[in-house]
Amino acid sequence: MIQRLLAALLFTPALACAHHGWSEYDTSKALKLTGKIVESGYEHPHGHIRFEAPGKTWNVILAPPSRMERRGLEKGMLKPGAVVSVEGYPNRDKPEEMRAERIIVNGKTVELR
Amino acid sequence: MTPAAPAPIVALEASGLGQAMRQWLWLYPSVEIVHVTGIALLFGSIAVLDLRLLGFSRGVSVRKLASHVLPWTLASFLLIVPSGVMMFTAHATDFITNPAFAVKVSLILAAFANAGIFHAGVFRGAERWDLGVAPPLAARAAGALSLLLWISVIACGRLLAYF
Repeated sequence: MIQRLLAALLFTPALACAHHGWSEYDTSKALKLTGKIVESGYEHPHGHIRFEAPGKTWNVILAPPSRMERRGLEKGMLKPGAVVSVEGYPNRDKPEEMRAERIIVNGKTVELR
Repeated sequence: MTPAAPAPIVALEASGLGQAMRQWLWLYPSVEIVHVTGIALLFGSIAVLDLRLLGFSRGVSVRKLASHVLPWTLASFLLIVPSGVMMFTAHATDFITNPAFAVKVSLILAAFANAGIFHAGVFRGAERWDLGVAPPLAARAAGALSLLLWISVIACGRLLAYF
């Protein structure tokens, strides 16, 4: 862990170019999943939902709530029980986590990047 | 949330302040702005003195420069500390187990120790190298170490989001 941290410290300028968090996700493995929200947090620094897709429950990282609200994805649209579709990428290290590029709620597509 | 975190840390995250930081739409970004402004003031005020200690701008009095910038360095903590505590509260259980956070706090303490040793030591004789001459080795070393430590603190702060 210390070695990883030191390596990361040395390469900070490269990291700073990546937007917060996306570099952790494998964009070569795009996912498109539909499922039911079981838990949601409209929270800083990133919103999230846990949702039951066929065969697996994912923890989906969304955008900052201020951005989601500006793009019309309001808190009430992410309540547990709501059925949503998510397009995004799996985390390289955490098998249950993905980051959403966009989310489709009630037929409305909201870009999250 | 990390279940392994100690109870006071869990309670801090569950507090009203923690909830407000996570859920109020513009509180978190506002607090981030205060924190970054404080860091700019902290690092800027420290860096100009460190560069002088390294031997740049020898026509500027070390003692006058120090007495000008030091109050601003101290004032910057009024911005940095409350905003930092607020951001910690929002995700206390994550921060407490984040290796970048432990390294960041250690580096801040090291930077304080370096500044304390400098002010109690070589800076006491600063009238002998106040103008026009190369600062002594101990002063140059303190300046270089200070720059290195504070840049590393900034790096760890940014890396908190990636660990």
